[in-house]
Amino acid sequence: MNWFYARWGLIGGVALLLTILTYQDYHTRLSTVPLQTMPGSSSSSKLVRIQGMVKSGTLSGDVEGGQATFEFTEGPVTIPVVYQGPPPENLRELKVLVLVGHWDAQTNVFQAQDTALLNNYGYVAAAYGVSFLALVWMLFAMSQRVMVLFKEIKESKLYEPEVDSLAKKQ
Amino acid sequence: MINRFIRYIQRYKGWFGGGAALCLLIGLYTGLLASPPDYYQGEVVRIMYVHVPLAHTSLLAYSVLFGGSIWYLWKRDPLVDNMCQAAATITAMFTGLALVTGSIWAKPTWNTWWTWDPRLVSFAVLLLILAGYMMLRRLVDDPDREGKYAAVLAIVGGVDLPIIKFSVEWWRTLHQPMSFSTRGVSISDDLLVPLLFMSAGCWLLFAYMLMIRTQMLYLTELLQAKKGRLLSQTHFSQSAQ
Repeated sequence: MNWFYARWGLIGGVALLLTILTYQDYHTRLSTVPLQTMPGSSSSSKLVRIQGMVKSGTLSGDVEGGQATFEFTEGPVTIPVVYQGPPPENLRELKVLVLVGHWDAQTNVFQAQDTALLNNYGYVAAAYGVSFLALVWMLFAMSQRVMVLFKEIKESKLYEPEVDSLAKKQ
Repeated sequence: MINRFIRYIQRYKGWFGGGAALCLLIGLYTGLLASPPDYYQGEVVRIMYVHVPLAHTSLLAYSVLFGGSIWYLWKRDPLVDNMCQAAATITAMFTGLALVTGSIWAKPTWNTWWTWDPRLVSFAVLLLILAGYMMLRRLVDDPDREGKYAAVLAIVGGVDLPIIKFSVEWWRTLHQPMSFSTRGVSISDDLLVPLLFMSAGCWLLFAYMLMIRTQMLYLTELLQAKKGRLLSQTHFSQSAQ
């Protein structure tokens, strides 16, 4: 019985480790920084991701050539952005998207160098979470029941040991 | 007396469980961490690695139930009936999860949780057939009639399998066409590797769960039968005194 629970503990531990690794990967690659934290922050060359909408009537420059300026807004906060990077396919006015770049505190402008699709990792987490929790719960409940049934049969007087000895001879 | 097949299951089922765990771990690693996001869908494409294997496995699992039901009607082996009963419950779980994960995937890609699409409806019908199967088993008291009626229902319900499979070709549908067919594989290697590992993991997991649940049903019946016999013997000996 102890081995049974140790095995399930091991499975739980591996699942937890995988969840932590995935969360760290998500945090490194995909999480976005709130737009409110940008104005007033110090300059940093570290790339961050911000999510918001391109403000109507502010987009100018050579978008198809990969150079543009516009205002980026989320809620009450609006920041100026200078985009220089690969020609973005999803950059247009009133478009909600993710920008990858860094904040320049000297000019108070966000220097964007790439765009990305919206962060919708919550759907992925929900799909995997629901599936694996349900399957593992079902498997655990069934395995535990079988263990109890075997124990009950073997430990009670209902058990017929001659059957096992026959099986060994075969 | 414990059936020899049940003892074999007890001896060898660990290989299936271990194989499933290994395949699922590799599949999860490659699917969640190593594979690239999709150009259009972004990160949500990773739902495919859990949704498609669950859907494939539910069809495979129903095929086991279908085959087992024919076998039961032919041989009337109670252990096969236990296996069919076990397969139905596990198939319902896989089918329900395939529908739920599909719905979660549909929201960011189709902008809706549900649509009356032929593939989705035919899959939901499969879940209803399985719910009917399980209800039928609870409603009929006589074990022989219970097994017989349930087997007939499972065989009739098998009509839904080709409808699910070919619904994306027979009707206009939002659902993407088959990625694996006689025409070849229409999916890139980056996406194929995690999909194959997750599919293999789900198939092995189904086999493992089927073994455990068959054991569970068989042992429960065995215990009940033995307890009943013991009680009747006690009653007989008391009456004789």
